[in-house]
Amino acid sequence: MNCNLDRRHFLRGAGMALALPSLEAFSAPTAATVGPRNFVAVGTLLGWHQKAFYPKQTGMAYDMPATLAPLKAFQDDMTVFSGLDHRAVNNHAGWPNFLCGAPLKTYSLDQIIADQIGQKSRFPSLELSTGREAAEGHIAMSFTRRGIGLPRIQQPSVLYKTLFVSSEDRARTESILQSGRSSLDGLLADAKRLQRALPLADRNKLDEYFDSMRAVEKRMGRQLNAINDPIPRPDYQLPSSVSLEPSHQIELSDILYDLMALTLETESSRVLSLFIDGGGQVFSFDGKALGTGYHKLSHHGNSPKMIADLVAIETAHMRSFSGFIKQLKEKKNAHGKSLLDDTVVLLGTGMGDASRHSNKNLPTLVAGGGFKHQGHVAVDQSKKGSPLLGDLYVTLMQKLGMEVDQFKHATSNMNEVLS
Amino acid sequence: MRRDLILIIIGLISAGWLQAAQGQQIPGPVNEVLSKYCVDCHDADVHEGDVDLGITSVDWTQKQQRHFMERVLEVSEQKTMPPAEEDHPTAQERQIVKDWLSGKLLQHTPIGGTLPRRLSNAEYQNTILSLFNLPEFELPLGFPQDSTLEGFDNLGQGLVVSPALMQAYSDSALQVADELYPPKEALPESTVRIVGPEDMTLSYSAAALHDGALRLASSGSPLGKTCTWTGGMKIQHSGTYLITIDSSTFNPKSKEPMVLEVRAMDRAVDGRLLQDTLRVLKEIEVTSESPQSITFEADLYKGQILVLGWLNAELKLNGKLLSLLMRNSFERDKRFLAAWQAAAFPNGFDKASRGSGMRGQNGWELVKRHLNDPNLDLSTAQMDSKGTQKLLKIFGGHADTSPYAEALAHYYFEKGPSLEIHKIKVKGPLKPVPGPDEKRQIQLQVNVAGFEKSHLSNLAYAEKMLANFLPRAFRRPVDQHTLDSFLQIAREYWATGHSFDEGMHLLIRNILISPRFLYRAVHPGPFDDYDLATRLSYFLTQGPPDETLIDLARRGRLSAVHPSKADPSKMEYWVLRREAKRLMPTSHSAPMVQSFTSQWLDTNLLAGIMPSAEFNFTPEEISLAKSEVERFFTEILNKNLPMTDFIDPDFMFTSKAFANKNYNRGGKLPTRFWREALKVERLSIERGSRYGGLLGQSAIMMATANGVDTQPVIRGVWVLENILGTPPPEAPKDVPALTPETRSATTPRDLLARHTADAACATCHRRIDPIGLMLENFGPVGNWRETWPESGKAIDPSSVLPDGTQIDDVIDFKSWVVDHIDLFSNCLAQKLMTYATGRVLNHSEKHEIESIVKANHSKGNGFKDLVVDLIATKTFQTK
Repeated sequence: MNCNLDRRHFLRGAGMALALPSLEAFSAPTAATVGPRNFVAVGTLLGWHQKAFYPKQTGMAYDMPATLAPLKAFQDDMTVFSGLDHRAVNNHAGWPNFLCGAPLKTYSLDQIIADQIGQKSRFPSLELSTGREAAEGHIAMSFTRRGIGLPRIQQPSVLYKTLFVSSEDRARTESILQSGRSSLDGLLADAKRLQRALPLADRNKLDEYFDSMRAVEKRMGRQLNAINDPIPRPDYQLPSSVSLEPSHQIELSDILYDLMALTLETESSRVLSLFIDGGGQVFSFDGKALGTGYHKLSHHGNSPKMIADLVAIETAHMRSFSGFIKQLKEKKNAHGKSLLDDTVVLLGTGMGDASRHSNKNLPTLVAGGGFKHQGHVAVDQSKKGSPLLGDLYVTLMQKLGMEVDQFKHATSNMNEVLS
Repeated sequence: MRRDLILIIIGLISAGWLQAAQGQQIPGPVNEVLSKYCVDCHDADVHEGDVDLGITSVDWTQKQQRHFMERVLEVSEQKTMPPAEEDHPTAQERQIVKDWLSGKLLQHTPIGGTLPRRLSNAEYQNTILSLFNLPEFELPLGFPQDSTLEGFDNLGQGLVVSPALMQAYSDSALQVADELYPPKEALPESTVRIVGPEDMTLSYSAAALHDGALRLASSGSPLGKTCTWTGGMKIQHSGTYLITIDSSTFNPKSKEPMVLEVRAMDRAVDGRLLQDTLRVLKEIEVTSESPQSITFEADLYKGQILVLGWLNAELKLNGKLLSLLMRNSFERDKRFLAAWQAAAFPNGFDKASRGSGMRGQNGWELVKRHLNDPNLDLSTAQMDSKGTQKLLKIFGGHADTSPYAEALAHYYFEKGPSLEIHKIKVKGPLKPVPGPDEKRQIQLQVNVAGFEKSHLSNLAYAEKMLANFLPRAFRRPVDQHTLDSFLQIAREYWATGHSFDEGMHLLIRNILISPRFLYRAVHPGPFDDYDLATRLSYFLTQGPPDETLIDLARRGRLSAVHPSKADPSKMEYWVLRREAKRLMPTSHSAPMVQSFTSQWLDTNLLAGIMPSAEFNFTPEEISLAKSEVERFFTEILNKNLPMTDFIDPDFMFTSKAFANKNYNRGGKLPTRFWREALKVERLSIERGSRYGGLLGQSAIMMATANGVDTQPVIRGVWVLENILGTPPPEAPKDVPALTPETRSATTPRDLLARHTADAACATCHRRIDPIGLMLENFGPVGNWRETWPESGKAIDPSSVLPDGTQIDDVIDFKSWVVDHIDLFSNCLAQKLMTYATGRVLNHSEKHEIESIVKANHSKGNGFKDLVVDLIATKTFQTK
């Protein structure tokens, strides 16, 4: 509770307009009244065709645009934002601005959150991808504090095994963890002796090693602490054969969303991110293949046929996403609160308009999180002092109970709009 | 976050022009050119594309400023700036800028700068495999991917260590340690297991159940046709066991004992296994018609089962003996002969005999029916009748597969003599014995340590092992301090009461997560012979240096120079060149060939491409197409063929069927046999044709398309990047305000023309698109086409190269590249060097490579010569 007061105090001191939450927040937080505890980010490489994503009207009563149609049932559980971005560089190389803001390839939103609220769960964060990516490891979405791009799990079976399969021999697992942890001092002492002798650039490069080692060490600690806790075994049957082909991306994302919902339900991790790649893959709908690959469709040149195909792909992605939101809404956490209320879900992209490689005006949607949702919020970028996407990120982090007042060069928040 | 901000500010200060005042003045003539053509757009106020050329001095000691100047030189050389619609410098003016920039850059850019380079995933796997002699070692599914930089997955800067990767290293280390020092299983309590006749495996007609006993009737190989085995009872722990077998004779013909042979067989049963390759445990003489117990001790290993066979059965699976046996039977018993004749030849002796219908029990039932038939025709039951001769010939044929031999076995099961098994009892283990697994572990331990433990104390063993193994694992000598710190890890663990094996297990796990193992050339000193051995080995074999290289490095021989044989006044890296040739890959399946070609030419993208059904392409054909590229590369390398053969060779490597289908090669039609259709050969072709060479190879055209339609922009970029070595810069920061309008475009050419109407895009797309369009004759799988699929309009492949040269089509382009082959040679040489050194090359390094390429051109332009010369450069031999 003190923390909350400090934060408000600080924010007010900083002279920021802030809609204070009702006084309820000052009563002792109970399990049911604390804010959301989970964060999920979903990002598409090729963005979302704006005309089919942004509603024509602002506010609560808007007509569902084509891409959002699958989310109709959750219109009150989400807010669509237009006109937000990070003022980052354009083109595909600039894509990581989605969660990094500017500069690129720096501490990403999900990792900032994971480092603060993820540490107590079995996995501080999980980074996922819908199947085999067009080019191996070509673009990262999540970055550590030091700017290390994180690899993603691409196979549902690997994710399932990571989450829900435990070693048969608990005593041996424990002894391996213990010996591993206690020998680390000796190993790291030698490694540090090596690092100290190196020239500066090499020394800095080796910091990656030490950072990652520390993460492994922490994980060993968590595993040892929970060694006697049973690993959750959800009643979920993974399909026996899963295709990782990029052209089966939609089917694969359905499975990944199932597993993500299970991850949150079993409290195995609180911070998840899902990358939706966009290569040359050719999708088929109703048994009929589109004439053109996903990437090329994104350069549609205003051809109505190409736009229609592109929107068909994006709508299919949204249908999968909507299945995820539905699961979150139906599932309850241990305190009887719906998982959707317990989870801030951010759907967006680092690509504003792929047809011209523009990273301005990034289509963004926030669902759940216990927010009082506002329908469609249109930000007019031409107005002086109009908010940045990073300001919205500050709001999301504060909702998650974090004491932050800036995200990269965004030093404000959008609490007035969304709270 | 605040720290980030400070870092950025520091970065800006050191990178920016704040210090430019300390630099050197830009000379007058250069300044004139810059002011005349550049600063209108690129000055401090406008600084289009974040480029400011309104500067008056350059601080060449600043890396950032040198990088910037390299870019200026590059765009001037490639003539991408100034934009087409602006005034252009004369050749002379460009030369002034070039001379100055190139000279200054050479003077101030030091060669080298690879960051500590962790092993790439492929290198990591090969290293473990070779270090521990574990040929089956594979990275588990979901092992975190490498990230690529400059198109390669093995650059120091691009190879990061993420927490997930570190965890995966730690898991793999555990997996390796488990291979050498698996957790000791406590010897289990001795148990008794009973195997009854019904639990034994019945395979073909090797055995049958009769009256509650299992009967064996035949002998000979393969064992699947004559033996039975305890399929359901696998030994769980290697040890000594007490085996009791109850057996008896059934209708023996003589007093001679029946010999029951018991052997041990590993794990999975393969019926085709030859019995006599298995270890014999016991030969039991069975003489009694009532069950008789025999007990004996034998060593059985984990996973083994027992195999039982009757060694001296009358029925032997051997055509000659079988034919003799039947001749005797037929001579003795005419009814027996007549019944076999009737069963085998239902339609008379002139017609075909009954084939598989005679197999096993069925066959014997048929014979029996005729035997019991009171009207059985005995008229042909003579030894010289046609039917008899044909029958004996059948029995004399391939007896082990003959249905007739199997039918006969059932006669023996029913009538005897046969050997009966009633019960098998296996008790144990009485004491443990080392099985093959344990022996293998001991061998692996010896491989790693270099010696056997024998009488050494734990600590003495570990110390000696570390002295041998650490330098191998870390690929360079290891000082006492480091050795002690590892020794300490084991020492402490043993001190807390853990076993020898547990201590060694922990030691191996720690070695495999040390940065000294995970990173290459990570040490404070300059690049030395060990680094050279390591770089050479990973470059050419994707694996760690072998004994020979390490030995040469130890003796300082690898980098030693000797007077050249051809010209004694010149010194050359004689040993290094010899070793480079020794390690040069010779097969298209060599890791270096696979890894380098797939990354250079993007054929690794094929994994994600499914050609549309209309092209009728199978997955086998895709891998055949990929292997065409690899064989082609290997051929040019091994035979030291000229660089021009990459572009316009007189051969191709593919199957005739594939060439006919995709390369319109004419000639013989594809063979209908699948194996033949995929048989890759070296086919001769005419030089100067549309096929052959990298441009137009199916795999490459596929990788630059998406299986359904072509992507001219991607192909254009691909050629600029991988053939001509002049990659376009990243797309500009300024993007068109509106989506380029292409609605009314009817062909890809129209479409691209509109794409580039915007000035910001045009600068690069003017270079990219014409080349991509030139390749439009190649469809999405490299199939030749003359018209565009949707519009049906004729494809116009004519093109204009960045330097203004008019090109008619791909054939014309190939001859242009051949005429300018050094462009390609430089491009490939730079790719090879980037792959080998793990860094993005700077101006001085590119310059050194350029001189190597030029020299190589003048002495035959062989590819292998070029690779060896590249290894002998300063660029290769600098950290």
